[in-house]
Amino acid sequence: MNLLLLGMSHRTAPLELRERYAVDDPRPALEKLVAAPEVEEAVLLSTCNRVEAVVATHRPDAARLRLRSLIERDLPAGERPSAAALEAALYEHRDGNAVRHVLRVACSVDSLVVGEPQILGQVKDAYRAAVDCGACGPILGRLFQRAFATAKRVRNETRIAEGPVSVARVAVDLARQIFERLDDKEALLVGAGEMIELALERLRAQGLARVRVANRTPARAAALAERFDASAHGLGELAELLVHSDVVLTCIAGGQPVLTPELVQGALRRRHRRPIFAIDIGVPRNVHPDVEALDGVYVYDLDDLFGVAEANAAERRREVVLDERIVLDEQRRFEGWLTALAAVPTIRALRARAEAVRRREVERGLAGLSLGDREREAVEALSRAIVNKLLHAPLSRLRQAQEGKAGLAHLEAARSLFALDEVEGSAGPDDPGEDGESGSGA
Amino acid sequence: MGVLGLHQAAAAAYLGAALLAAAGLGLRSRRGLRGAGALLVLGAALHGAAFWRLHSLDPPPTLTQLSFALSLMAWLGTVFYLLLQLRVRSGGLAVLVAPAAFLGAVLGALAAPSGPSQLARASPLWSHLHVLLASGGLALLGLAGGAGVLYLVHHAALKSKRRGAPSSVLPSLENLDQLGAVALAAGFLLLTLGLLTGMIWLHAAEGRLWSADAHANAALLVWVAYAGVAVARFGVHLGARPLALASALGFLVLLLAGIGAEVWV
Repeated sequence: MNLLLLGMSHRTAPLELRERYAVDDPRPALEKLVAAPEVEEAVLLSTCNRVEAVVATHRPDAARLRLRSLIERDLPAGERPSAAALEAALYEHRDGNAVRHVLRVACSVDSLVVGEPQILGQVKDAYRAAVDCGACGPILGRLFQRAFATAKRVRNETRIAEGPVSVARVAVDLARQIFERLDDKEALLVGAGEMIELALERLRAQGLARVRVANRTPARAAALAERFDASAHGLGELAELLVHSDVVLTCIAGGQPVLTPELVQGALRRRHRRPIFAIDIGVPRNVHPDVEALDGVYVYDLDDLFGVAEANAAERRREVVLDERIVLDEQRRFEGWLTALAAVPTIRALRARAEAVRRREVERGLAGLSLGDREREAVEALSRAIVNKLLHAPLSRLRQAQEGKAGLAHLEAARSLFALDEVEGSAGPDDPGEDGESGSGA
Repeated sequence: MGVLGLHQAAAAAYLGAALLAAAGLGLRSRRGLRGAGALLVLGAALHGAAFWRLHSLDPPPTLTQLSFALSLMAWLGTVFYLLLQLRVRSGGLAVLVAPAAFLGAVLGALAAPSGPSQLARASPLWSHLHVLLASGGLALLGLAGGAGVLYLVHHAALKSKRRGAPSSVLPSLENLDQLGAVALAAGFLLLTLGLLTGMIWLHAAEGRLWSADAHANAALLVWVAYAGVAVARFGVHLGARPLALASALGFLVLLLAGIGAEVWV
């Protein structure tokens, strides 16, 4: 079984490109993927910063074409990006590298803000969606369970989650460059999802004078606002809310920006041009790009936050080195399991093939001889002993094949040397047919 | 230590402050900026002592000499900056204040004190008041201009989202705007009082209110320019960035008018 991962992230694709691939519900795409014969299992992860599909397959080349077709044709909303732009943005990982990538993503080593906690929840959501629609089987199921365990280890064994790691924390640090104090400032959060909830928690800790939550569904905003001593509003009140808001954080689903230049310009006029700091973590973006040009408005989207986070990341790089060791450790464990999964049928097939050859050659050899039962049994025992002796070393090696890459290499070599795939694919291990080995014995 | 020695020592302290402030901004080191602040305090103390010595000369100079007037302005600017620092955190502004103070102290060290002019002798009280108020006003307007320049730099860094910009050690935009507003309000008030005391001084000495010479005309031009900036800030509520730009341009007008008047004279 092979693993194949294809995708794009904040490291390879600009926000303008990524936002075209925002997928609210991955299930239809997953159902389409696993309906193809070359894809055994699939999981699709779509967050603000990445869209990635990982599949388990016996036919990696055909599966790769299927994945590319999904990304090139099925996923993009609106106008399709140019082939060159897509080519530059896409990355591909196979087998061990794909495993490593999934583990790194889950434990936030590959995140825009290294150590941010949201990504684990998003990976879990992607996994659940794949399980719900039957796209996730034993291989990817095991991989994602391993990924969750890795994330837990990284969080427990390193200090990666400490310090300014969340988007909200970076936003607070930036806000302090604009506003000297935050305890007399008012914040507006547009949306009521997990990101907004985490940001709300962080902003509340900064002692902001007042926090308001606006959402398309006011009931959800109300539930969130109640927990954090904030006030809840509908999106229709944005024009009025902006007048009082110094810090605005947006993360709401929908194709159209909720903060338009006209809306913000009007608010600026009414608040005597006092500055507004807007953090847009929505994908697609919630703040119209032209708002950035307005004097007195500082807009930071996810890519901008990435730049800031990178500049502040030196402190946490040491932790990331430690994380990579954990990731490697967990990668080896998964590969060992995957190899063991493949080792059992290989050993069985090799034994069956040897036994079939032995039986046929013994029968062929004894056919022209008139031997008694004792002699026949002696010949049978002798042939079995020879086969067992010959197979002892290779089978021992294959049993030990659960230790990482060398094991996989042994398995592949065994299947190739003994032509096990050809046998399985044609007549089956019990009926090896004519080959060099039997011919030489004739 | 004599007047010259004190001016030289003050210049050395200011130079150290300027270098530390530049290093602090370049290396994003708050410790560097704190060191610059400490050296500015030392420089201001030495500079103040130099003026005290100058004042105890017999007869004391009126400080209407350009070198001493600029030196006094630099000293007052430094003192106002340090006092404002107690209320509005703006450590990064030392990178502009310290070099200006250094230049002022050097000019003070190079000047040779002369006795009061005939005009000053005619009305010593008003001449002293005029010099102190006008110099204080111009120093504060210089501070407002410096805060405006730093605001524009920080604003540009935040807008361009430049990686590696020294913004994390710069004062917040809010503080720079607040500092600019306070310095503009106080500076414009002192400048106005300086103009009025100048007119009273002239009236007491020569019986007329306006001399219409280059110095007076330049002062009036500066006052009109800053009246416009004050109306824009406190009356029209322009945005913080245009106001910072206006403060910086106002200071440019002040410099050009001052230099122009001296060249004309």
